[in-house]
Amino acid sequence: MGENSLPGEFDLLVQGTGFTESIVAAAASRIGKTVLHIDSNEYYGGQWASFNLEGFQKHLSESPNFQATQNWNTDESETSEWTKENILKTSRRFSIDLTPKLLFSRGKLVKLLISSNICRYAEFRAADNVCTFEESTSSLKSVPCSRTDVFNSKDLTIIEKRLLMKLLNSFLNYKDEEVPEEFKNYLGKPFLEFLKFQRLTPKIINNVMNSISMCDEDALLEEGIEKTKNFLLNLGFYGNTPFLFPMYGCGEIPQCFCRLCAVFGGVYCLKKPISKIEEKDDEISFTTDNQVIKAKKLVFGSSNIPEELLSSEKKTDHCCGGLSRGVFILEKPLGSEELNSGGGGVNFLKLPGGNGGAFILQLSHYSGTCPKGLHLVHITSKSSSTPSDDLQPFVEKLFTDEHKPLYTAYFTLPSCSSKVSTTENIVECCGTFFELDYDKSIENAEMVFKKLYPDEEFLPRAPDPEEIIIENEDPTAISEHTLPEDLKAQLLLEESSKEV
Amino acid sequence: MAKTYDYLFKLLLIGDSGVGKTCILFRFSEDAFNTTFISTIGIDFKIRTIELDGKKIKLQIWDTAGQERFRTITTAYYRGAMGIMLVYDITQEKSFENIKNWIRNIEENASSDVEKMLLGNKCELNDKRQVSKERGQQLAVEYGIKFIETSAKSSINVEEAFLTLASDIKAKMEKRMESSNPPKGGVHVSKASDSTRKPESWLSRCSLL
Repeated sequence: MGENSLPGEFDLLVQGTGFTESIVAAAASRIGKTVLHIDSNEYYGGQWASFNLEGFQKHLSESPNFQATQNWNTDESETSEWTKENILKTSRRFSIDLTPKLLFSRGKLVKLLISSNICRYAEFRAADNVCTFEESTSSLKSVPCSRTDVFNSKDLTIIEKRLLMKLLNSFLNYKDEEVPEEFKNYLGKPFLEFLKFQRLTPKIINNVMNSISMCDEDALLEEGIEKTKNFLLNLGFYGNTPFLFPMYGCGEIPQCFCRLCAVFGGVYCLKKPISKIEEKDDEISFTTDNQVIKAKKLVFGSSNIPEELLSSEKKTDHCCGGLSRGVFILEKPLGSEELNSGGGGVNFLKLPGGNGGAFILQLSHYSGTCPKGLHLVHITSKSSSTPSDDLQPFVEKLFTDEHKPLYTAYFTLPSCSSKVSTTENIVECCGTFFELDYDKSIENAEMVFKKLYPDEEFLPRAPDPEEIIIENEDPTAISEHTLPEDLKAQLLLEESSKEV
Repeated sequence: MAKTYDYLFKLLLIGDSGVGKTCILFRFSEDAFNTTFISTIGIDFKIRTIELDGKKIKLQIWDTAGQERFRTITTAYYRGAMGIMLVYDITQEKSFENIKNWIRNIEENASSDVEKMLLGNKCELNDKRQVSKERGQQLAVEYGIKFIETSAKSSINVEEAFLTLASDIKAKMEKRMESSNPPKGGVHVSKASDSTRKPESWLSRCSLL
């Protein structure tokens, strides 16, 4: 076997290194399965990848199904600091996400990263501001998140502060078992109607509706209560808002799971298309680089479907993908100086609108995703037409003359094909969903894992390096009975110690 | 919990498969040598705390987890690294030639001011040598980095290599700290920070209104 050929047999082949596939790969490797993780792209992450600016432009121009358009609008005069050339010179400082996300401080992903001990591979920045768009002044305002914020807010009157605190408290104390009088008449009715009846000011209604609960106009009170409560319960862990953003972009997250998979023996190959997939007698065989490899099970990402698995008829309904995306590079950040004090950070805004509205994320160089002096704005909405048409209402609101983007890109993350034939041993992972955090994708990954290995634990905690004993080390250093069972089993490395 | 160190440095080991990265890691962190851990299952990084000029420095040294084999090291591996050991095997010409590719990889993915050092490992196998010490030195000069030949097996120069890299990072860092305030970093999520807040404390955190 040459140095560059692969082992011939694996328990699991995972094709595609997107978020969901990477979690499945890590989870399988973690329980001792031999995993081959392959991607036909030369980069990690699939639809969840991030690119530097040049790589991003190239990726858009080479993805025909993205409906991508790109446009430069730089000042090319000699005095201008950010000409197109100068921006491209800093290309490497960009890390532009195809699928930008924010993590709730106590959301599913953060909990999973902590419980699996994968958190040590990633670093985060607490989001600096949750914003709201004030229609009357056409400006961005910070939404007060904590008691102190409410107290210090200059945008609210004293009466508004009292009303807001009272309202938030009533949500926080809400219990299904004893529904308070003021809620009773509105259960099953629109959240907005409930808010309007509370004799609140339009400002407060806007804050609660669009920024705190992020509810659509037709959401019911129950949903409003749940989402508001969730927002409040995620506050106070890190920084001033309930959100975290992964440093260097969300493209790092799938890679963290890949690293865990590799640490437990998973084999990684990028830029490796596979072909001739065949399932026979409970075994799957496939070819890559003229090598035939066998695997007991196969998982693939929805943006990476092997041709052999496409069937002519519609099999299942998927709701993943179908996102319209906008990426903008700005010199002058959106919002007031106060919102960008100290050079900016991570600012988040949810804009209402038909079809679920849009998530907007503004990132400064402190996020590790763009050079100092520039700001990156991501807009994400559901797609119904071309990406630029879908995002037009939001773009018009945000980018006034003084905030003209230097670079604009629109693209679509296509919805996944629903024509896949899967079997018990061949399972598909969904693509990106229209959601702020990763909840649906994690549910999907866990479901795929349970389908493959129904009786196994999903991503148990990985040991810290200090807990691992290798033979020849002094075993008295750590007392053996303090180790969990799963660890002991792993540590039974081969006894034979051959000298070269 | 009180911090038991003054500085924490993240270091990486990079180089072709089989040059002895994991052996170097174990020699330094455990003072042990073992040829059986061909693939380094379950080993992420090792920690050793050293002392330099009265400062306690915690070195967190990361292994490639086998992802060097098909050149699939994640960009995330390079994030936040302050020092990189580039390792080749003096008995494998190819591993020496590939150092250039690894440097390119580092330039693309690691921070531009990362401290680098070149190690020619397995120097105890002098009779099988394919790469002379002079060539190693020359390459290091070309890239403006330090060079040393090591043997993880015979415990030659491994300690020296890490101490050199660590003190270079320390010097660079202290120089930067003198000229400006340290840059703002991100946060890590962990069990430890988990306990800093109970869900109910949102209301009790700040006083009135």
